[in-house]
Amino acid sequence: MSAATTTAYRPLNPRRILVLARHTFTQLVRMKVFYFLAVFAVVVIGANFLELPTDHLPENAGTEILYTVKNTSLGCMSIFSLVLAIVATGLLLPKDVEDRTLYTILAKPVPRLDYLIGKWLGVVALIFVSLMAMTLLMNLVLIPHTSKVMELQIGAAEFAGANAETKAKIAEDVRALGPTWNLQAAVLVTFMRAMVLAAVALLLSTFSTSTLFTAIVGFLVLFIGFFQADAREVYFGQDTGLAGKAASGIMTVILPDLQIYNLIDAIVEGKVLKALDLLKVTGITAFYCVTYLFASWLVFARKEF
Amino acid sequence: MDSAVEIQNLTKVFRPQMGGRPVKAVDEVSITIAPGEVYGLIGPNGSGKSTTMKALLGLVAPTSGTCRIFGADSLAVDSRQDVGFLPENPYFYKHLTGAETLAFYGKLCGLRGRALKDRTTELLELVGLTDARDRHLGGYSKGMLQRIGLAQALIQEPRLAILDEPTAGVDPIGSRQIRDLILSLKDRGITVFLCSHLLEQVQEVCDRVGIIFRGRMIREGRLDDLLAIEDQTEIILRDAPADLLEEIAALVAAREGASLIRSGRPRTTLERLFLRETVEREKP
Repeated sequence: MSAATTTAYRPLNPRRILVLARHTFTQLVRMKVFYFLAVFAVVVIGANFLELPTDHLPENAGTEILYTVKNTSLGCMSIFSLVLAIVATGLLLPKDVEDRTLYTILAKPVPRLDYLIGKWLGVVALIFVSLMAMTLLMNLVLIPHTSKVMELQIGAAEFAGANAETKAKIAEDVRALGPTWNLQAAVLVTFMRAMVLAAVALLLSTFSTSTLFTAIVGFLVLFIGFFQADAREVYFGQDTGLAGKAASGIMTVILPDLQIYNLIDAIVEGKVLKALDLLKVTGITAFYCVTYLFASWLVFARKEF
Repeated sequence: MDSAVEIQNLTKVFRPQMGGRPVKAVDEVSITIAPGEVYGLIGPNGSGKSTTMKALLGLVAPTSGTCRIFGADSLAVDSRQDVGFLPENPYFYKHLTGAETLAFYGKLCGLRGRALKDRTTELLELVGLTDARDRHLGGYSKGMLQRIGLAQALIQEPRLAILDEPTAGVDPIGSRQIRDLILSLKDRGITVFLCSHLLEQVQEVCDRVGIIFRGRMIREGRLDDLLAIEDQTEIILRDAPADLLEEIAALVAAREGASLIRSGRPRTTLERLFLRETVEREKP
């Protein structure tokens, strides 16, 4: 066997991982997962007719619709991405075992690590494409609404005799509530949170043979993740010693701290996401994904079929 | 030259996760298969056939003993480049067509472009599924699934094909097609390691067989040697008149120590009769 051929069997072969990821993506698409996008379209279009309560100061006139569209869109994206991350990932491994398709794949020269990463990437790619489609639709709805709000507010400012500088400030404020890069960053953060949950579901499915178990425990991890920072604060507090800090650190690694992704809410409110914060979230996401994928491999490499 | 398969003193004990008694599925089994040979492993349900095959594929780790494929440890990923595996009752991905299935497995083995397309076409033709290449596997019959399974097993041109109950649940026509495919593999020099409940089929295709019972290999050898009845001789005549048969019987009776046990018309098998009345009847 040539050296080149031997190298091809080493783990982390990008082409092989891509083959598995594309296949997983196709598998999920043909399971008609994208039907959810139709539901999303209905919800976003329906959001046009909703009015969420906001303060009715003159300077906020007409901005309710922008908040409504952003809130409903990002809310739907969160639900879709998290449900898909947990259920789809949890479904794939047990299904492959049950159908014995896993035997035929592992009987080929496919390292188990490549199989796991391929499956995870397939789910992650599907979530990415879905979020892109939803983001496009959200932006398409937001753009005309932002123009209308701006027209309304600048008209009101002109009526009140505002100067050019004030009008420019109003325009800037309204633009900040529309389809900004900041808003796209919120979608990116939503995506990163789903990546972590998919990695958690993959880890769970390596030792579970039931999709139901993976889904239930996955949602439990999700629930704990939203509150674990508060729980750490309660149990370990600020004045904890080394042992407390270690326990707190271990808890953060075992169960992902999803509160770090809460900056999505601040972005919806129009606050600017700092590059450093985005970098921090990206780093933590990478850490969680690598950790859970590695743990999945440790379990899966020893698993017998 | 390395043996195609070399299993030495393989023992596999399954320990239940929640406690309970460990189960010894395979007990000190040794099998050696020469390149180009067709080897049949037979035994009742739960005798350890599938576990032996899975150990050979690295799907289960031996408790003790070793499994090697063309000299390579079967737990190493690279040993699988030389192996094609058809599991018992495979389902495959129903959302893929026949051609897509082969392309998927081919790509996993590093095949690309023209080579992959040609290999896919060649294998679909070999297993008689050219007309069904663009149909989803969800619409395939049991026999078609077994044949596409055999095709995926052969996609990377392996030197060894491991077939676990290749004709399970397949009708006699499909079963005969798979038998013919196994024989064609043998003609191509591919080593075949199969286990089956259909003893007649094993008898038709295998050079050597092993009988496994309760995890232990209880008998192994060349089929001809195992089946031959040492003290009997068979003569089959065509269009023999009655007086010739009487003469033969008289000759045998005259010879001391020899005796005629039985004479009469040999019977065909029910399978041959079925095939003659169905498939062969349709032929012009």
